[in-house]
Amino acid sequence: MARYLTPAKIGLLALIELYVEETVPNDAIIPVLSFLTSHILDSDLQSTMTTTPGAANRWQRAERSIGLVVSIKDFEDLLLPFPAVDRLPGRRLWDRFLEKLWGIDSLDALQTFFSRQPRVLTRTREELRQMTELGEELPSGILLARNSPLGAFVRKAVLEFTRLQFHHSAELWKAFVKYRQPTVSYWRRRNPQCGRLSFDSVLMESQHEWGSFTDGIAVTAYGGLLMDEEDGALPVSTDDIESLLEFQIDQIQKYGARVPAEIKAKFHAMLRDSHVVPSLSHYLNFSDAWRSGDYPSAFDYLHRYFDYTMQNRDRLFYHYALMNLAIVQSDFGCHKEAMATMLETISTARENKDNTCLNFCLNWFYHFGRAHPDLVQDLEANSMIGSGKEALAFLRAKAKETGMLVLRSSALLSEAKLNMANGESIAGAMEHLVRSSHIIVERNMKSLIGSQLSVTTSLWDRLGISYLSTMTSEVFLRVHAPSACFDDELKMVCRLAGTFAGKGKYNEAFAKLEDGIDKNLLRAAKPNQYWHLYRGLVKLRRDLHHNDLDTAETLLAQLLQIGSEELDPDVVFIIDSLHIEALIRRKDFDAAYEKIERLIAKFRDDHRDLSLRIRLLLAKAHLFDCMGRPERGFSITMRAASLAWRARLLTLLWQAVGALANILNAMGEFTAAVQLVEAVLPRSMESENAFNTGILYSILADARMGQAGKAAKARQAMTTTGETTGAAASLMSNKKIDLFTKAHEALECAFNHFSAAEDLEKQCETLAKRATLMKVLGDHARAEEYAARYMALKRQSSSGEHSSVWSTDTGTP
Amino acid sequence: MRLSATDTLHLKEALQNAVVKCSERCLYQSAKWAAELLDSVPDPVLSDLDQKEAVAGLQGYQHPAVSANPDPVEAELEAKELSKYLLAKSFFDCKEFDRCASVFLPDSLLSGLLSTKATDATTPKGKAKASSAPPYEQALPSLSQKSLFLALYAKVISGEKKKNEESEMIMGPQDLGTIKNSHLVVVSRFLERWFAERKAEDSDLPPSQGFLEYLYGMVMVKEKNEDAALDYLLNSVHLFPWNWGAWLELTNLISGVEQLNKITPVLPQNIMSFIFYANTAVNLYQQGQDLAASVNDLLKLFPTSSFILTCRALLNYHSKDLYTAEQNFSNLLALHPHRLDSLDHYSNILYVLNMRPKLAFLAHLCSSIDKFRPESCVVIGNYYSLLSLHEKAVQYFRRALTLDRSCLSAWTLMGHEYVELKNTHAAIESYRRAVDVNRRDYRAWYGLGQTYEVLEMNSYALYYYKKAAGLRPWDGKMWQAVGSCLQKMGKDRDGIKALKRALLADSYYDSTLSSFGSAGPADRMAQMDPEVLLQIASMYDRLGEVEEARAYMELCVAQEDGGATDNADASAVCTSNPGESFVVHGDSPGSDGDAEGGYEGRGGAGQGEGTGVTVATSKARMWLARYAMRTEDYVTANRLATELCQDGVEVEEAKALIREVRSRMELADLTER
Repeated sequence: MARYLTPAKIGLLALIELYVEETVPNDAIIPVLSFLTSHILDSDLQSTMTTTPGAANRWQRAERSIGLVVSIKDFEDLLLPFPAVDRLPGRRLWDRFLEKLWGIDSLDALQTFFSRQPRVLTRTREELRQMTELGEELPSGILLARNSPLGAFVRKAVLEFTRLQFHHSAELWKAFVKYRQPTVSYWRRRNPQCGRLSFDSVLMESQHEWGSFTDGIAVTAYGGLLMDEEDGALPVSTDDIESLLEFQIDQIQKYGARVPAEIKAKFHAMLRDSHVVPSLSHYLNFSDAWRSGDYPSAFDYLHRYFDYTMQNRDRLFYHYALMNLAIVQSDFGCHKEAMATMLETISTARENKDNTCLNFCLNWFYHFGRAHPDLVQDLEANSMIGSGKEALAFLRAKAKETGMLVLRSSALLSEAKLNMANGESIAGAMEHLVRSSHIIVERNMKSLIGSQLSVTTSLWDRLGISYLSTMTSEVFLRVHAPSACFDDELKMVCRLAGTFAGKGKYNEAFAKLEDGIDKNLLRAAKPNQYWHLYRGLVKLRRDLHHNDLDTAETLLAQLLQIGSEELDPDVVFIIDSLHIEALIRRKDFDAAYEKIERLIAKFRDDHRDLSLRIRLLLAKAHLFDCMGRPERGFSITMRAASLAWRARLLTLLWQAVGALANILNAMGEFTAAVQLVEAVLPRSMESENAFNTGILYSILADARMGQAGKAAKARQAMTTTGETTGAAASLMSNKKIDLFTKAHEALECAFNHFSAAEDLEKQCETLAKRATLMKVLGDHARAEEYAARYMALKRQSSSGEHSSVWSTDTGTP
Repeated sequence: MRLSATDTLHLKEALQNAVVKCSERCLYQSAKWAAELLDSVPDPVLSDLDQKEAVAGLQGYQHPAVSANPDPVEAELEAKELSKYLLAKSFFDCKEFDRCASVFLPDSLLSGLLSTKATDATTPKGKAKASSAPPYEQALPSLSQKSLFLALYAKVISGEKKKNEESEMIMGPQDLGTIKNSHLVVVSRFLERWFAERKAEDSDLPPSQGFLEYLYGMVMVKEKNEDAALDYLLNSVHLFPWNWGAWLELTNLISGVEQLNKITPVLPQNIMSFIFYANTAVNLYQQGQDLAASVNDLLKLFPTSSFILTCRALLNYHSKDLYTAEQNFSNLLALHPHRLDSLDHYSNILYVLNMRPKLAFLAHLCSSIDKFRPESCVVIGNYYSLLSLHEKAVQYFRRALTLDRSCLSAWTLMGHEYVELKNTHAAIESYRRAVDVNRRDYRAWYGLGQTYEVLEMNSYALYYYKKAAGLRPWDGKMWQAVGSCLQKMGKDRDGIKALKRALLADSYYDSTLSSFGSAGPADRMAQMDPEVLLQIASMYDRLGEVEEARAYMELCVAQEDGGATDNADASAVCTSNPGESFVVHGDSPGSDGDAEGGYEGRGGAGQGEGTGVTVATSKARMWLARYAMRTEDYVTANRLATELCQDGVEVEEAKALIREVRSRMELADLTER
């Protein structure tokens, strides 16, 4: 395999020559130049100019550079549409290009072609001086500056050609002949004198001399090339392969995507015949195996890569190998091994004084510790890193010292997250966020936007401003997603889907999950798993609301089987809480209670995120409520409320207040309950969680009913005391009716919210309440209507026709 | 010369036998040569044969896979040793030479034999080894000649291999040409005794087959014992004429035509000696009708033989008929596209003809056949040299030498490249090695001379130039070099003689193309080299023979337009010097057989008939103008100076001259009045 030069590069040189000779017509100049630059430089002008960058055409560059190497067709596509500037009418630019290529009609002409290349460059001062001394005419016209991209390319090509051994240049020549051959029919049409052997002028000229022996000589010189051997090696150079490899690895690392199968196949075809396999390709294989979740081959390739690179780097790079190994191990769920490896990495990096690596490792280790507190627990006590917070401060200082901006910004983000998790000041978290955002914006670190925005959204979520968080997510998906890591994109999409599911828009949620994501990107194992998990979660939530407990349990059984080792702890918690809910709905209170208790104890020990703990407390209160003894949850609810207030976890605060009002209801303090709920309701609606709002409404209705009941009791008491004044009675009854109406209104709102969330049980409950209310009010017709609807819903829930439920309900007032 | 069908059959049979015999003894090159020759013998026309003979010829003949030995004693020995012989042969084929040798001649046996011979038996070593042997002399092992040859030959080859390995890098610190093949002593002593035994008691021992003589000759050549080697080699070719290796050794031993002619009568009279004669003559740069005729005769016998075709091409090359030589080689290439032998000569020709595309193609062809053959490397080196990429050229020549240290042309060409790279020491060393390999390589001698001339060590240079001129008496280039060297040493008379000889030599050849590679392409087509003429003229000038000087100067100027127009002038000059009348013949337009293109006029493209304006002619013109000034021929002076101005050479001086002429003329006018 050639080192640098390939026939395609000769084509590029010829194209540059055409351009310099000013044979390119005006309207072709931009396409030609952008074609050249896109192949010479890494940056891609063409795609940024014409099409919006997206995941779909991310791989286009690889495809194009493979295409150029493999066939001359790309040149034809580019040049055929344009007319040539001069001479004969009807000639295209393609003709001129072919003229150049066929002008290289022997190995010697190839040599001449390269030796005349420096003509397109500007002359150095020395050369100019010599030229004037010799009285030569100074060059004019387009000249390429020596350090311009094109000039540098020309110079590099010439240098590489001089470095070639003879048989390599002969190989290049043969490859060139083969590369050019597809154009022979077109060329012959234009140049009838072009014969069978016109690919080599020496053979052409000697034909009359050698006669019938010419073929023998041609075959001797060109070998199997003339025999139309299909499986000949493609004319690629190590340079091409390496740049392709780097590109692919870059893509994998940057976006976390796998190489599309098609490109992979093409790439393998290129590598097939080369004896030299750059060691980087092992790394590519490793990355691919890693992404595809093929654990043994990932390890195999990683070791192979480092074995092959060991020869040209020294042992100093040992810790990088370890680091990769640790990351892979943790990715595949071998956390203990990963931790051991990473600790060794850290100590080696420290020994070798490799700060970059050390900082990266510490950062990783910090996150690892957050994710798996149980593993690092015994380390923390006597380690040098100390507790989370100190470690972060240390990292931040180090990052600032060494100027590692990525690390610095990610440390800031982690600190913000830590702040939030510990329920500390929101302003502090905000400050960290802003500082990190400043760094990101200032340095245009696109890859970090994802994590920055995800922390921001979670901040808004915690503050209960759901539209801001939705907006942030949308902004990310629309603007930053193409340049961000796929994991971030996937997480954002899942979060959005979760929000939709919270609003009860399950179909939108599924649509988001299905359509919002490039299928190719899902080929990677981890994202694929995550994606499936999230679909499962949305489905589970819907099933729970639909009261479809059998399906829900099937799903739960599957979800619970995924070991907590492989999952995000947050997701594990979601599964657990859904499990608790399912248990409660199954009326399996013992199991639910046990589970809650266990989780509470565990989370307290692990110092987990405050919000999760509050959620558990609320779940416990809910459990008491379900068991019909809400007042037992009073202290828990109070604690939850005060914690949520302190940490400004507003969504949770509203829930806690709701639970509190419920308890008040149970204790007969209806007025206080009404006051509480009415204060909270509008804010809760902001958080766009239909189910919670519905519950608040239903609590409100209960409180109103309670108030009405109290009023009725008061009247009863009055009547029993004998003070039956019609006016007072009517006043009382008016007040009662007023309260009933208010209760009914609240019930209606609750019903609407429940039906938005598609929660059958609660819908039924509200309908029953409404029917009773109507009965009490004496409106039997409507009571009957509600009763009928209740029956219909019940039937549906038992027959499991969920889909029709809300479509019929949307019409109801 | 034409063979009858029967003779052809016999010839074929003999050649087939030769191939088998040579390859039995692992003489691969000789076997290849014989096989090639065999292939080129046309099939006999069967109708020419008698029916009986045809049947006998076709049926009675069977190909011998193992050649039978007519000598019963030897045959018996061979039969007895067959399995051991086969073992040894396979070792040789696997390049395990020492192991091959030790099959028949274990080291202990050899050292025993030699120590008793070399020293007296009481030395501890000899005693230890040969204690059981008779005290006076241990008997030689009784082996068949075939096995003996194989064993000894393997010994020699192994020694050569070791020698090459010890020399390490080409032109490195170890590579001084001083390392000897350490096995030669053993082999030569062994053979000495063997032949002594033959001579002493030839009655009961079977007669020799010729191969051992060849080996002994080869060993002696390596030991620089050339006269004895010649004897043994002659013996060998008498006993077995089909071993081309022996003939080649003979060719290498013969240093001149005289020796060749002396040796010819003692050669066996057969087709091989005929081929040998032709080949040797070609290698000695001979030419002429007789030689051409004999080569053509051979070609009739072996119409497609690559070897004979090469000989013919080389003959043309040496007689400076480059275009024909190129044609010949080109045809040869067409006939045998996979054959790399002697393509290095072809590349030399293409180099001189400046046919870059074809040379590139040839290099490509060679490198696709086998890029690790010395010939391929030389071809590629030549191509790079033509592209003026001298470092790369050196690299390839070195590679060629690493592959084969005796590759003569690579040494010489590498010398040329070193000259181009201004590395004179390396150049001298390379040339010296070339000369050591083959003393008949005039290019190396010439190169040596040239290098010393560059270093301004003229007497050295003269010595080497004379050597070169002695090898190629009909090459003007050599004489010119000798002449200019003499001129530099101040020996003008001798210089003039040498240069005149150069002019004569140039006119001798049909074409005046130089075969010397590194010479510039300029002035190739000149009828008479104006440089030479100018040199002669200036030497005459220095000697004070002004008339002679003027004549040559005018002749020099006349070369600008091919001498055609000024022919009368030139002949006038020459007739005034009857002693050099040959110059006229050399200059006459009739002798410009290969002149291309028509008359292009003065100052034209320069590659036409005339040389156009060159530095030499301008100098001559300037001299003539000044001379005219001195002789007060102002009109001529004015004309010449004006011409100089037109040519744009030394304009300032010419203008000054014109001014002076004008003033003198005016002065003359004034005085006339």
